Amino acid sequence: MNYALAIIVPLLFLLSFLYAMRKKVKLFDCFTDGVKGAIPLVTSIFPYIATVAMLSKLFEVSGMESTLSKWLSPLFSLTGIPTEITPLLLVKPLSGSGAIAVLSDILTKYGVDSYIARCACVAYGSSETIFYIGAVYFATLQRKKLSLALGIAVLSYLLSVVLCCFLCRFI
Amino acid sequence: MNILFTSVFILANFLLLVLNPDGFLPALLDGASKSATLCLSLIATYSVWLGLMEVWKQSGITKAVSRLLKPLTKKLFKTSDEETIDALCMNLSVNLLGISGAGTPYGIRSAQLLDKSENAEYASAMLFVVNATSIQLIPTSIIGIRVALGSLSPADIVIPTLITTAFSTIIGIILTRLLIPPTRKNRAFHILSTQKARGQV
Repeated sequence: MNYALAIIVPLLFLLSFLYAMRKKVKLFDCFTDGVKGAIPLVTSIFPYIATVAMLSKLFEVSGMESTLSKWLSPLFSLTGIPTEITPLLLVKPLSGSGAIAVLSDILTKYGVDSYIARCACVAYGSSETIFYIGAVYFATLQRKKLSLALGIAVLSYLLSVVLCCFLCRFI
Repeated sequence: MNILFTSVFILANFLLLVLNPDGFLPALLDGASKSATLCLSLIATYSVWLGLMEVWKQSGITKAVSRLLKPLTKKLFKTSDEETIDALCMNLSVNLLGISGAGTPYGIRSAQLLDKSENAEYASAMLFVVNATSIQLIPTSIIGIRVALGSLSPADIVIPTLITTAFSTIIGIILTRLLIPPTRKNRAFHILSTQKARGQV
């Protein structure tokens, strides 16, 4: 299993390069041409990443996060979400690295193979860091009407978490 | 985003002012420095994948993948522009492979191209929703963490994750279709509402 996962990326590169060689592509020139785009791309999204990161840190430090998770816990448990994973659900849409920290916290606290831990893992994997993606994707757009789209993404995220906690009881 | 930013920022700012004024600036700086580190690692990630993607582009692999995914992309995003479809197809296929970070460059290019298309409102919302709820075939990083913590069956979350991630994407697509309809009839309305919204959003 681990080996099969590990070979995906090297194989992808090898096959692509071999194919490109057959097509007589100048590999060095071509590859560097691609890399050229990396820094401009990151420069263009940096302001948005930085702002969202500062906001999510404020959200955490000011205690809004813990207060909100206290308020939302009973609401979540009504839908079958274990209250222990509420902090994870709040952090995940804002910050990927923050969510990893909360996740490993949950895993060590309740045991890697417990129901809560498995719920947390599936909930983590079911969606991306929504606000970060929103900031990055809409950064360069002129029409910045994304509130509705954000709402849709958050709603589908929450619904999928409900489903995941339900599924984890059986699988 | 503006409303969200303003309300969360001011509330947090106020709370810290009352409870812990010393924590305010360090929190901002910590967030900013984390994003700087993140950007450095993003430069590394994008260098690798943008390099490979240029190879794909020049050897014609991109075109082949696009041809494969074109019917789906056309239907989902209501666009007929070749360049946009190419970028969208790359974004979708790399996302499916689960190589995190690699889809973003193509996602951003798609977003910029879609912004000029006839159904911009709908199409960019759809692009965002599909990416935000992204279908991941193999949750590699989670399996890694579970192995490290000594799980007995680290991979038993693969199937539930697959089901939930597919579910969230499908719900997202359905909701986008319903709430931000792509028809031309609504276009005039959308332009009107965007112009109105531009003042406040």
